[in-house]
Amino acid sequence: MFERVRVIASDIFGLPQAAITAGSAPENVETWDSVRHLSLILALEETFQLQLSPEETERIQTVGRAAELVEEKLRTAAG
Amino acid sequence: MPIVIQPYREEHQPSVKSFNQRLMTAIQGQDLAFYENWVPAWLPKVDGSPLYNQYFVALEDGEVRGAYALKYERFFLAGQGEHTVACYHHPLSEGIADRKYSTVGSLLLRDALRREPMLYALGMGSLDRPLPAMLKAMGWSLSLVPFYFLVVHPYRFLRQLAVLRQSRWRRWFMDVGAFTGTGWAALTAWRSLKRLRGSNVGSFEVTEVDHFHDWADDLWREARDDYRLASVRDRDTLARLYPPSERQLTKLSVIQQGKPVGWAVVGERRQDAKFGTLRVGSIVDCWARPEKAEAVILAATRGLEQMGMDLIVSNQSHKQWGRAVGRCGFFQAESNFIFAASQKLSTLLSQGSLSDFHLTRGDGDGLPRNF
Repeated sequence: MFERVRVIASDIFGLPQAAITAGSAPENVETWDSVRHLSLILALEETFQLQLSPEETERIQTVGRAAELVEEKLRTAAG
Repeated sequence: MPIVIQPYREEHQPSVKSFNQRLMTAIQGQDLAFYENWVPAWLPKVDGSPLYNQYFVALEDGEVRGAYALKYERFFLAGQGEHTVACYHHPLSEGIADRKYSTVGSLLLRDALRREPMLYALGMGSLDRPLPAMLKAMGWSLSLVPFYFLVVHPYRFLRQLAVLRQSRWRRWFMDVGAFTGTGWAALTAWRSLKRLRGSNVGSFEVTEVDHFHDWADDLWREARDDYRLASVRDRDTLARLYPPSERQLTKLSVIQQGKPVGWAVVGERRQDAKFGTLRVGSIVDCWARPEKAEAVILAATRGLEQMGMDLIVSNQSHKQWGRAVGRCGFFQAESNFIFAASQKLSTLLSQGSLSDFHLTRGDGDGLPRNF
């Protein structure tokens, strides 16, 4: 899952995939601003066909957390 | 610590002050501050009125990290009646001061959409700013409300307009125009030509009023179906938007053959560095059937001229109001006044375009000062 989220994040933040780690966050990714954060959320929703609530999106503080959240949502949806 | 968004209450006021202080320290020279009083000074909630402001704060362990406001109101959509909508305004995020909070901006917007899916935003500066970019990313429809201006005093206009005087050659050219009178002649000729080409609006009277009485309700009902979309402008709404206590704005009633056919609200804008010392008047709001638009614009223009304005500005979305200001000698210039509608609101508006809507500076959050 992390690899798939890393590809999305790399595209949105305009960085090579190797530069994206689980710890990549607004504090250490120069291009991670409010607009790109929103783009990341929308891309995750579209790619994985899921809906994220405002509370859930607030948990996306790092790329690693985003991958964990997506995994958790998909697991819940699968029942 | 998770961030939670909740209605702004009195106990949040000290934290909002600290939030404002952090923003102002981080971004020098910009007026970035959220309302420090939890009760809106403009359009507080009152029983029985669908028009009111409500504020929300994003809290992290009791500290405010972001805030936004919703102005709830009613939109009239031709053929569909009235709908409650909200204007999303004054979103502020600590992300502009501390990268750690870059996620707050999108959190605020998504929270607002959850509370009121029929959202719109108006103004916002320019399309490349963060908020319009976020709205676009969210699938909102964005369009520019045309901007018009009329030069009343060409000499002062040519000498003062700072925004046009940025290069040495342009300054020289404008000074020559101002001193020799060629600028005055050119602008006056243009205006006269436009007026000559304009239609004959017939005679009308203009009365300054303190209140909008029953006639305003009649006008609202008579004209509302002429517009695909209009924010409700009945007597009760107008009393809240333009109360008699508001002395900055002048309310004009336009009368033809003894009957009110329209109204306008006009006022002098606050001093702005880009206008130098020019006195800038604004046609803030107006209402009439489209065929009476020209009489109303002419009445508003004359009112502002008599008040001593050097320049008059107006934003008009509707095509016939746009034509009316053109016939009254206004030029059209680049607009940065954006109308953005959420996906749900856009769906309701899908059969119309911006030029069918009635939007002015009286809409959105520009009142009572930024018109």
